[in-house]
Amino acid sequence: MSFAVATSLDDALAAMAAGARPIAGGTDLVVGSRQGKGALPDAIIAIDRLPELAAIEVGDDVTRIGAGVTHATLMTDATVVDQFSSIADAAALVGSPATRNVGTLGGNVMNGSPAMDTGAPLVVLGAEAELRSVDATRSVSLDELWTGPGSTSANADELCTALLIPNRPAASGSAYVRLEYRRAMEIAVVGAAAAVTLDGDTVSTVRVALTAVAPTILEVTGLDAVVGSTIDDAAVAAATAASEQATPISDLRASDAYRRHTIGVMARRAVDAAARRAMGETIAVPVNRALGVGAVA
Amino acid sequence: MAITDLPTFVRADGPDKVTGSGRYTADMTLTGMLAAKFRYAGVSHARITKLDVSAAKAIPGVFAVITADDVPDVRYSYGIADRTLFAKGVVRYDGEVLAAVAAISPEVAQRAVDAIVVEYDELPIVTDLEAAVADDSPLVHDDLDGYAITGDTPHHGNVGTHSSIEMGDPDAAMAAAHTVVSSRFVADASHAVPIEPRAVIAQWEGDKVTIWTSTQVPFDARNGVCETLEMPTTKVRVIVPHVGGGFGGKCGPHYEPHIAALARAAKRPCKLVFSRWEEFTAPDRRREGMIVDVTTGLDAEGNIVARTGELLLDNGAYMADSSFFAQAAAMHVAGPYTIPNVRIDAQLVYTNHQPSGSVRAPTAPQGCWAVESHTDELAAAIGMDPLDFRRRNIVRTGDVGPTGQTYEEIGLDRCLDMAAESAGWGTTELPDDEAFGISIGWWPSFHMPAGAYMKMHADGKVQVITGANECGTGSVMTLRMLAADELGLDQTDVELVYQDTAAAPDGPGASGSMTLFNHGRAVEKAAKEIAGQLRELAATKLEASAADIVLADGAASVAGTPTKSVPIVELAEAAAEGELLLGSGSTDELEWPEIKGSSCLGEQGFSSFMAPQFICHVARVRLDKDTGVARVLEVHAVHDSGTILNPVAAHGQVEGGILMGIGQALTEGTQYDETGSQRNAALLEYKLQTIADAPEIHTQFVEIHTPNAGPKGAKGLAEAPNVPTAGAISNAIAALIGRPVRQLPMTAERVWSTIAEEVTA
Amino acid sequence: MSTDINAIELTVNGVPYPVAIDTSRNLSGVLRNEIGLTGTKEGCDDCECGACMVLLDGQPINSCSYLAVQAQGREITTVEGLADGDELHPLQRNILATGGVQCGFCTPGMLMSAQALLDRNPDPSLEDIKIGLSGNLCRCTGYARILAAVDATAVELRGTSDS
Ligand SMILES: Cc1cc2nc3c(=O)[nH]c(=O)nc-3n(C[C@H](O)[C@H](O)[C@H](O)COP(=O)(O)OP(=O)(O)OC[C@H]3O[C@@H](n4cnc5c(N)ncnc54)[C@H](O)[C@@H]3O)c2cc1C
Ligand code: FES
Ligand code: FES
Repeated sequence: MSFAVATSLDDALAAMAAGARPIAGGTDLVVGSRQGKGALPDAIIAIDRLPELAAIEVGDDVTRIGAGVTHATLMTDATVVDQFSSIADAAALVGSPATRNVGTLGGNVMNGSPAMDTGAPLVVLGAEAELRSVDATRSVSLDELWTGPGSTSANADELCTALLIPNRPAASGSAYVRLEYRRAMEIAVVGAAAAVTLDGDTVSTVRVALTAVAPTILEVTGLDAVVGSTIDDAAVAAATAASEQATPISDLRASDAYRRHTIGVMARRAVDAAARRAMGETIAVPVNRALGVGAVA
Repeated sequence: MAITDLPTFVRADGPDKVTGSGRYTADMTLTGMLAAKFRYAGVSHARITKLDVSAAKAIPGVFAVITADDVPDVRYSYGIADRTLFAKGVVRYDGEVLAAVAAISPEVAQRAVDAIVVEYDELPIVTDLEAAVADDSPLVHDDLDGYAITGDTPHHGNVGTHSSIEMGDPDAAMAAAHTVVSSRFVADASHAVPIEPRAVIAQWEGDKVTIWTSTQVPFDARNGVCETLEMPTTKVRVIVPHVGGGFGGKCGPHYEPHIAALARAAKRPCKLVFSRWEEFTAPDRRREGMIVDVTTGLDAEGNIVARTGELLLDNGAYMADSSFFAQAAAMHVAGPYTIPNVRIDAQLVYTNHQPSGSVRAPTAPQGCWAVESHTDELAAAIGMDPLDFRRRNIVRTGDVGPTGQTYEEIGLDRCLDMAAESAGWGTTELPDDEAFGISIGWWPSFHMPAGAYMKMHADGKVQVITGANECGTGSVMTLRMLAADELGLDQTDVELVYQDTAAAPDGPGASGSMTLFNHGRAVEKAAKEIAGQLRELAATKLEASAADIVLADGAASVAGTPTKSVPIVELAEAAAEGELLLGSGSTDELEWPEIKGSSCLGEQGFSSFMAPQFICHVARVRLDKDTGVARVLEVHAVHDSGTILNPVAAHGQVEGGILMGIGQALTEGTQYDETGSQRNAALLEYKLQTIADAPEIHTQFVEIHTPNAGPKGAKGLAEAPNVPTAGAISNAIAALIGRPVRQLPMTAERVWSTIAEEVTA
Repeated sequence: MSTDINAIELTVNGVPYPVAIDTSRNLSGVLRNEIGLTGTKEGCDDCECGACMVLLDGQPINSCSYLAVQAQGREITTVEGLADGDELHPLQRNILATGGVQCGFCTPGMLMSAQALLDRNPDPSLEDIKIGLSGNLCRCTGYARILAAVDATAVELRGTSDS
């Protein structure tokens, strides 16, 4: 087994072209190997010291969040907290301070777990993943990227360099809530992100995506119908649609029936919190803790 | 904050622990030491048709692989001697040890473990308690009567111990009752989860073995080695480095014999360190699952006139120290109430789960949760406030309890009143999604023989040599206070020599909240001996009568004449040249409280409670009704544990016990798959409460004069705080949703289903 | 089996240690076995208990699940590096004084998380402390005294830095 620390992006890409797997925080990769799920890859290239991956750049239309940005940064960065609050909500819930300190956005996305917390926020914000290899750079939609639990369509030599997020129109807000049995050190039983844009008192766009109720992050469809309705109506419609469209499994964390019920509750609360933010209300990150037990709205 | 108002008490082992210099067993290394690993059964019930270790032995770097064939053929355990060190013939739970490997590194040891070949004929797996007691159930043990059985241990089929408590005529009283309520509650198993996974090191010198281990009870560990490896007591020395928590989980002998046998075979010291997965699944120390069916009859005024109950407890595959569980559980389901007519029948049932064993107040949190939830149902049935209902029915000083024990001075009534007052029961306005719940409980103190030696050196410093074991509670530290007090010294003049079976007289170690109660009495006696010697010396020197000598502030003085005084160190100096200052003490037998008018089947020493401790907890809970997620915001705890000698340690025990209780109430349940294996043997899935979940805890002590108690009137304390918390939380949830959640833990999903049932009902 | 050994240098509490280790080795194991600093504890298999918490360039990490090779070139701080010679760090002193230490197995990890928190946020609310220590499980204390100790330390340290 070999290990090297990449000192430049090119370095990292070359190592990957030669077959190395990237390690950022290692909170999925190393932990996964310790749980006896499998050995570490034969060759590892550490990408955690690359400044190129650690930047958050606000462009005219798109904000570029480096794949190496840690959850600790995401939850406190002013741009993310103000503009893409749902990502900050999600990052603030990941693991413990130690997990957030080294765990990265790129690692979360590329690990491809249906329980990843930043996934649903990225979906509702319309993000794309920037993938780079020695030869090429391309952007893919997240829908295309995630192909199943723990699998992505990225080629083995492709590094995720950034997540590209369209800047938000005025009167917009987003939020992420998740069901938690305790107030820290949790894994999503279910979670929901919502992004809402308002036109006065009514909803002009709403997107909702769900965590841990399908093989990959699931975007709720058919919400066009709520355009023009009140926030409350939109929240209720999103809840119903979320419960209907979810295809949850039963496992040791919850039964399918309970997941189906609570995903509706999470969707309603996410839409509600997103709309309140869109109206200018300040709800601290993360919504879960700001609003109390079990994410009570 | 109140915490900083308490007098500071810096534990003698504290600096070691905060600087990282303190050694726990896993921190130790011996020259030539090998890594030990176990091969586990991996299936819950099967006959072994082949066990071949030859490939494992052939791996370079492997020094020994041992199985049942390599140790004496001894069956052992308390109550029913049903087990062997290594599986023999049949495996009965998946964490049963088949073989042990010693190798040059953990990696090589693991490869050897994987190279062991085992083949099985599968046997039917018994996991369901009700099915297990049916006549046609497959048996976990074919022939219990083929095992050596000790004590009053009625058994049959899969029932390991059948115990009952009975008084009066419950059938007639129930028939005549004004209101009768029947309830069923089902508690899942749970785990002790000390943060330190257990570790054992063994090293031989000639025919003697020294074992370093993270046990709570070094003498039990030693005796276990002696019994299973057929060795004399004098050839086995158990030393206990710092222990990273126990909670019962590290009581009894565990893997000390295995590692001793392995080290002998490998001719090298061997070290075992458990992973968290092993810590969950292998040891015989799981908190037992329980089914409680309880029926209570009330008269028109709301007095309890009769109670009957049927209990099934999941013993798992083998008897650890569990033979008393059935009777203990029966006592908790009877509860600290005046009930003239009682019959509670409890069966400890073998299954193919991991064995159950003492975990902090065994059987009590579950039994108490069931009966206290039932108590609120009783109060509701007659429209009475739960606090008033308890005030009417609890045992008070001079009352007769449910097995005919008459209580001398007890403080349960004051616990109830003070907890209610502290919480603002009935006066605090709560939002719609919050409620209070109240619960009471009890727990005995235990007498066990314990000894202490003591020596005072020429410099006036004292060493106490005790069999007590410090697993965190701080009660061993309190022993210094007791010795210092008798001798008129400061506690910093007293050092403890402890956790070494070769040095100290025997004792129960850190089990059953017995450190202070028993080791404390022995230390007091030993100190009194030296104090007597000092008084004689001082009397001669000061020309006074020994009876008039007072030992205080480092000096021996004549009572009433403080000018006639001599520093203790001077006496010690003189003694060092003459008759040495040595003391020893052993606990006096305490009389077991008498019971009258009751009869008990399967008597296991729990039908009456010695120096009983009483508790009342009030929990304030907030519930998210949409999801069923409950959060405990406050707990008001009042304890009658007799005299509190060390307030900081006492508060710490209560706070820790409450957090453990909240975990058991809401998030800590052992989940099994259909084959009897634990599904959630990891801390992300078996969820302890974090600091972010911790509520405000308001603790008070009722310090009354307790007859027949330990040193200075102290009773036990470490287990009691764990008893009533889940009951209090249950009653708060029931107050919010109109009915109790009938399964423990009361997970969010279970709360939600209970709400949903109500909607459809 | 990998035979790939890396000769690297790890800087722990300001002291450089040359070690030769396999790539797959976790940092806690190397600290405990090769370097001989056993204050860092191991209580689980996978990042769930916090007993192994150390600081990497001042920030907390679960050393049980961090590759030792990935820590080269960074400053590692363990519980052994907290005290100033024989002088206990205020966190150590206060956690003893309040009674926040029982079995002590969680204590090193707690102290490291607390140290990182106070470095990041010298004036934490009780809720900030709770979140800051939420990756450290303690089974003994019920946390109240640990919370009080960190709170008291924050007050104490602010007092000294103001003056
Ligand atoms: C205790 C604990 C709690 C956790 N709690 C949560 C939680 O609440 N919510 C949650 O979502 N997750 C949680 N996680 C999972 C994990 O922390 C996150 O997924 C984290 O974001 C992973 O980032 P990383 O940098 O550590 O990834 P790594 O482990 O370094 O990498 C993960 C995977 O992605 C690949 N990879 C990493 N970076 C890139 C890149 N730039 N391009 C291509 N491939 C890449 C790696 O090769 C690897 O396969 C938890 C983990 C632990 C240990
Ligand atoms: S040992 Fe690292 S988190 Fe438990
Ligand atoms: S003091 Fe024992 S785990 Fe915290």
